[in-house]
Parts: sequence; structure tokens; C-alpha cells
Amino acid sequence: MPTKTFVDPDVGRGPAQLYAERTKRFADVYQLKQPDRVPIQLGFGYMLAEMYGATRQEQHESAARELEMLEKAGSYFQPDSIMGLFNNPAVSLAVGDRMTKFPGHGLDPNGSFQFVEGEYMKAEDYDAFIDDPADWGIRKYWPRVFSELGGIGLLPPLGMATFGVYGLYTLGSLAAPPLAKALRVMAHAVEAQAAADQRAVQTVQRMAELGFGPPTFMGALIEAPFDLMSDTLRGMRGIMLDMHRHPDKLLAAQEKVLRFQLEYAINWCNATGIKVAFIPLHRGSDGFMSLAQFEKFYWPQLRAMQVGLVEAGIMPFVFYEGVWDQRLTYLTELPKGKTTGLFQSSDIFKVKRVVGDTMCIMGGMPNSLLQAGTAQQVRDLTKRLCQEVGKGGGYIMSVGVGEMEGCRPDLVKVWVDATKEYGVYN
Amino acid sequence: MNKLVQAITDMREEEALRTAKEMLGSGVSPVQVLADCREAMNAVGEKFEKGEYFVSELILAGEILKSISAEVRPHLQQTAQTRQGPKVLLGTVKGDIHDIGKDIVSFMLDVNNFQVTDLGVDVAPSVFVEQIKQLQPPVVALSGFLTLSFTSMKETVEAIAAAGLRNKVKIMIGGGTVDEQVRSYAGADAFGKDAMAAVELAKQWTEGKIHAYENVR
Repeated sequence: MPTKTFVDPDVGRGPAQLYAERTKRFADVYQLKQPDRVPIQLGFGYMLAEMYGATRQEQHESAARELEMLEKAGSYFQPDSIMGLFNNPAVSLAVGDRMTKFPGHGLDPNGSFQFVEGEYMKAEDYDAFIDDPADWGIRKYWPRVFSELGGIGLLPPLGMATFGVYGLYTLGSLAAPPLAKALRVMAHAVEAQAAADQRAVQTVQRMAELGFGPPTFMGALIEAPFDLMSDTLRGMRGIMLDMHRHPDKLLAAQEKVLRFQLEYAINWCNATGIKVAFIPLHRGSDGFMSLAQFEKFYWPQLRAMQVGLVEAGIMPFVFYEGVWDQRLTYLTELPKGKTTGLFQSSDIFKVKRVVGDTMCIMGGMPNSLLQAGTAQQVRDLTKRLCQEVGKGGGYIMSVGVGEMEGCRPDLVKVWVDATKEYGVYN
Repeated sequence: MNKLVQAITDMREEEALRTAKEMLGSGVSPVQVLADCREAMNAVGEKFEKGEYFVSELILAGEILKSISAEVRPHLQQTAQTRQGPKVLLGTVKGDIHDIGKDIVSFMLDVNNFQVTDLGVDVAPSVFVEQIKQLQPPVVALSGFLTLSFTSMKETVEAIAAAGLRNKVKIMIGGGTVDEQVRSYAGADAFGKDAMAAVELAKQWTEGKIHAYENVR
């Protein structure tokens, strides 16, 4: 139950003032400074559909419907930053993506978006991948992963297509019907994704007009080199065997992957002016690999990626998924005050002790407490988080994942209010 | 530890396979080779428990075992390999297709002599109910990674209760962000933080020393 005397300090302020204050709050914590108050970000995910009676499919596919729900939720909960979903199925559907399943497409309209991992790259493909990732990727990998792009495999070797005798004489081969079809599918997919991007930008702009700070996950999306090799190419089983059977090839492939991801992120940030790269991590956490494996296959590449971004003036916003309790000290090697870490299930108090003066910390509230806890439990934990993890600044209150499905609205309200009450710095 | 057990335990894949072939070629009984494999798997399981081995070693051990089994099979003359341990019914609940955690639990239960029936992923409550009727396992283990799975776990437990089977089985849940809140919400008997906790719970529950509602780790 909220304290009787508590009055939301944000009520009665105009959107422009709120936007300025909230944006400043995030800017401060990103630089490890102490803001006026601990900022709270609500990454609602499917909770919006649950609260307002939409299907998850509608939420994914109708930007208008999602915006309407975001506006309602924002107005009621008044967080510093607010987010819904961040993926639209249009491009996946256009290319027949076998790696993703969206609600209403191979799943119930109220199912959860899921990633279907597979060994789309075989161990035998390493040499071709290392030799020329783009050529192998477009001609071999795309047809395996995207059912509508089967014809793309008919392209001549990309070197030939690019430099072939007197330049463009190879273009005629692109008229082969399956290839021509694949190219049309591509053109359609590009339009679909561009339209989805446009709607996402409009949503962010609209929420800013209403006084909400920028969503924390907004940035160039890239992956730790190991995770890119694992998630979309080798699959978990494949990559785990590679560490034993093909360690050198795995390292060589990661080097390639690191290079083009960095170039992409830097270009993206320069083009958009949003100097953030979002890096969700998957396989480097405590349960998945030993510290010896982490030191060889995961951390040096991830550190190099983050350092490269920071040197380019970009803030890595890293989602440390799973538990990182055994390997937090490595994170202290990162440039101080230049990165942010969202921690899912790590001991958040230990995180503060170990990396509190290295990076801005986000997370701390377990989804399960907002689903099945009591108001008093939520208030007590919020208070402790503000006092201990929020100490001295550099902290963003949030759940440990970018998703709040199943959370109870009344408990979320208690949580937001408690953050505004206990998160004030004197 | 003999050479084969040592090679498997140390993850020397080629040497393990070569040794197994040599043993079979020199007349060692296929049953003995399989017994060595089991001893090695136990050692791998122990190293996993101690935190010396991780997911990659379990997967590689599984691969080595598969290759050796393929070599052994032609030498086997219908040796009945009956497992005596208690049954455990395992699966990832409806709406969730994550299998990594479930597979590790399955591996660890197996090396600890449980008879594991793995129903796979996205398993509907009715399938769990059907299988409980058929197999009569004392232990049911529900896995889930997505937050959505909390509700599916609850629905599964409710379906088991509705079928009148709730007092016939002990139910554990695990995976992702499962904790005491989720345990209570789902109506399970216990939750486990990792595969060793699952083994520990299954042992407790099948040795008659049942500590209901007690959470391991």
C-alpha cells in the first residue's frame, strides 16, 4: 500500500518540463552522476496487450494500437521512460524467416514471440565463412534460413558478380526466375522493414511529446561476436562443440564478425545521431561456459567491441542476460562511465559493489515479484534497491528483462510510486 | 579409471572413440564398454556439479556417447538394458520452446539413474496428464524460460489436479527466472535453480524423505 502522504511529484508538470527532467535523469545516470531521482523505465512488452485487451498479434502488427496502449499506460503509471515491443513480424514474414515465430503466425495469436535456433551453418561451412562471410551468407545461408529467398543461391559468386568481366555482364544471370523472385521478395521486405522502422520512430517521437524520456534500448542492435556465431549461425549445440573441436576457426570467424558489426554500429549511430549500441548477450553467462572458455572465446571479443564503440563516441547498452555473478570482475576492465548494463538475474547488490563505479546499472526488480508478490514486498525491495543500488547515482530502476507480461498493474503502480518516493536524492 | 573412462571424462573425443573400437576389436564385451561409458558419464556429471564442466562438456560427452553406442550396437545381442531407477516425467510447458535447461536436467537425472521420459517442448497440460496416467511417475518436472511459462506451469498443475492425480506426483519447476514466487503461483511442490537441484529434489522425493515446499538451493 502506498504511503498516504505520497503525492506523485510528476503530476501537474507539463510534458516539455517532464521530458527535459526525465531526459536529464537518464543522461546523468549514464555518466555515473547522481540525478535528482532514480529514473524508472517500464519495458511493458506484452503487458500492454494484457491490460488493454488486445491480442499479442495485434500489438506486434498494429503500431497505432500499440501507441494508443502506450499512451494510456504512460499517463497512468508515469514512468521516466516507457517501451512496448520492439519487433514487428513484417520483414520476417516477407522473407519466410525460419528463425522466428510470431503470435498469429505459427503460434497462437496470444503466444510469445520466440526465436527458433538451429544449426543453419554447419561445422563444414567455417572455411567458406571465414574466407568470405558475405558471399557464403548470401548464397548459402539465406536460402537455408529464409524460405522465400531460395533463389538467391543462384547468384554468381559475389566476387564475379561484382568484378566480372567488364563489370556488369553477369547481371543477365539475375533474370533466372527463382532468383528474380527472390530479388522481388527482398525489395518488398526492405519496404516492410523501412515502414516498421518509421512507425517505431513515430512512436518514440509521440511519447517524447507526451513527456517521456527516450527508451533505453534504442540504438544500433549488434551482438557479442560469440553470440552472433551461436544465435543465428551455429546454434547452441554447434557452438558448444566448436569450442572443443574447432577452436581456431571459431576465433577466426569471430574476428570477422566483430569487424563488420562495429562498422555497422558506428555508421548507424552517425546516421541517426543516436549514439547508443544495444548488445543483448546470451551465451557468456555463468551457466553456459567456464571462466576459461569465457576468457578465450567470449570476453576479449566483447570487450574489444565495447571499447571500439566507446572510442567512436557510442555508449554500449549491454543486456547481461542470465547470471553474471562469477564474472563481474571482468566488467571492471571496461572504460569507466561509458557503458550501461542491464542485469537480468545477477545479484544486483553484488553488481553494484563490483561494477558500480564502472558502469550505469539497470534492473533489480524481479518480474515474479510484480506477478505474485505483495504490495509490501514490492515497496520493501524498491526501497532497498534505491538505497543500495541507487547509492550515489548510476542506477536505472527496471525489471531484469525488457518484458513485463503477467505483471499485476496494481503492483507496478506501487513500484513506480515507491521509486519516486525512495529514489529521491538529497 | 580405465583408459576409455579417462578419455571420455577428459573430453578427448578421438581417443575415446579409438579406444572403444580397440576394446571391441580385442573381444571386450560390448556390455563392458557401455558400463565404462556410464562410469564416464557419471564422472562428467560430477564435474558439472562441481562447476568444473559446463554445457559444452555435457554436449560433447553426449556426442561421444552417441558415437561409441553406434560402434557397440552391432556387437550387442539383445542385452536387455533395464533401468531400475524411479521415473521422472519431464517437459517444457505449453507455449515455450526452450530446451537447453530441460536437456541438462534430463542428462543429470539420467546419469543419476532416474528413468527420464522427456516429452520435449511446448507440451500441453493434457499431454502431461495423459503421460502421468500411463507411466505413473512419482516425479514430474516442468521447465520454462519465458515469463509466459509461469502461467502454463500453473495450468499444467491445475490440469493434473483436475484429473485427480495431484497427490500421486511431486511436481518441480525450473528454468529462467523461476523462484519461490513462481513456485507458489504455479502450485508446484518445489523449484530448483539448476540441474543439480532437480536431481536433489528427485532423490528426496523418491527416497521417502519428502520435504514438501522446501526449496533446494
